[in-house]
Amino acid sequence: METPKANSIVLVVAKYTLADEVRQKSMIVMFVISALSVFLLRECYKGDYVVNGQALSADAIAWTLSKVIFHIIAAGAMFISALLTMRVFKRDRDEGMLSCILAKPIARWQYVAGKILGLWALSALFMFILHSIVFFITSLSMKTPIPAYLVASLICSFNLLFVVLAVFLLSLLLPDIAAFLCAAAVGLISLAVNGVHSLSQSQMGQAMMQQPAGPAPSGVSWWKALYYFWPNLFGSQLSASSLIGTDGGMPVYPLINVLLYCLILGVVLLRRFRDEDIV
Amino acid sequence: MIELHDVTKQYGSLTAVDHISFSVGKGEYFALLGPNGAGKTTIVKMLLDFTRPTSGTLSVDGISSKEPAGRSAVGYLAENPRIPPNLTGWQYLQRCAELLGMRRSEATDQGGKIVELIGMKGREHTKVNTYSRGMIQRFGLGAALMGNPKLLILDEPTSGLDPIGIREIRQLLESLKRQGMTILLNSHYLSEVEKICDTAAIMNSGRLLLKDSISSIIKDGETLEDVFVRLVKG
Repeated sequence: METPKANSIVLVVAKYTLADEVRQKSMIVMFVISALSVFLLRECYKGDYVVNGQALSADAIAWTLSKVIFHIIAAGAMFISALLTMRVFKRDRDEGMLSCILAKPIARWQYVAGKILGLWALSALFMFILHSIVFFITSLSMKTPIPAYLVASLICSFNLLFVVLAVFLLSLLLPDIAAFLCAAAVGLISLAVNGVHSLSQSQMGQAMMQQPAGPAPSGVSWWKALYYFWPNLFGSQLSASSLIGTDGGMPVYPLINVLLYCLILGVVLLRRFRDEDIV
Repeated sequence: MIELHDVTKQYGSLTAVDHISFSVGKGEYFALLGPNGAGKTTIVKMLLDFTRPTSGTLSVDGISSKEPAGRSAVGYLAENPRIPPNLTGWQYLQRCAELLGMRRSEATDQGGKIVELIGMKGREHTKVNTYSRGMIQRFGLGAALMGNPKLLILDEPTSGLDPIGIREIRQLLESLKRQGMTILLNSHYLSEVEKICDTAAIMNSGRLLLKDSISSIIKDGETLEDVFVRLVKG
């Protein structure tokens, strides 16, 4: 018997990971509900909206709504990918597939890489389909397609890779639900930090900081440190969404931050799984 | 085929395997015997690189057990094998074949032969969650045979089987042995071992008490069980 090629084994493991997840009834239900919810949002594009006494144009409504929905879908996809990932190792262990696979001439990194690839592909596809529905609704409403919407979705998929890696690693160290909650906390903290960062960049925020009664600004404030060193999931989502519309240039730092974290988590996960006892 | 050289495995302060060395030749039908907690399963796990030895070396077919290539010659049946319940037995076998890098036609061809060999013809396309424990055991054995391994590592292969099933599996293993396959059997069924194995090693508390041919172990009208009890208790 020949030793199978490394990359083909990774793809086989990824294929079966994807197939196993898609076969789950809960996965199908989640997908159908999400797709229906997004599809029903098309009614929002038809309303009349008035801001400060001025009626918004149909295009302005479409731009704004599509961006809001973009963020909801991207955040929801992270949540779902964390839910999917948290059970994967345990299920493989409980159903005997882990020992079945690793008793074959398959290296541990191939198994882990296949699992990551399968889950990343599945959650990115999940998100891309939902974004595609919004893309079509917005394109029909504006009578012009916005291809940047789909590019932004693909960029956001790096956040999903981060979530998959983080939950995989945490699920080796903690109970599944704790791994999920930790990943959710990372996302929420990122949201809060980006909120503070955006506020500080706004005119109102600048004015608040310059008030004499306020606390003296320290050289590097805590939120600035968090903004640069915490996994910047929401910042990366904002970067991607800046492609949609006319917000100007795309901030690159949050994307680099997430990609660096993916690299670190990937290395730590592989090292940790290499030393794991298989039971 | 299998070489263990001064292997020790410690879990914290517990020594599961204590400086064990032995070898199993090609085509040998070898039984690893011992009471619960003797260290048999730890040895199997180290051979499959499921866990790493604290010290010492293990090799299969001349390749270190740490290398995935060392497992290309190995078929493994776990004690109480489990199969994803949403699969059919056939899908499970095909999945195993694909993980071994087999082509689809080859996998289908070999899968058909194995289903007949394990006596599951006609049941292979029903879901695993409808199978009895014995049927899962058979498909687990079938999966271990995928890819024509040179070495079969079997952890309690007849547990959960009825007497007819035990006999059928025994006959199957005997025919595999005649084909030159090396078999490492981890079992508590000493009467079975006595009937079919060439050599046996008896372990207790992580130590190797004895390793010899079955004919040399059993002397003066004793059974393997008598020898086992005497060694383990003494």
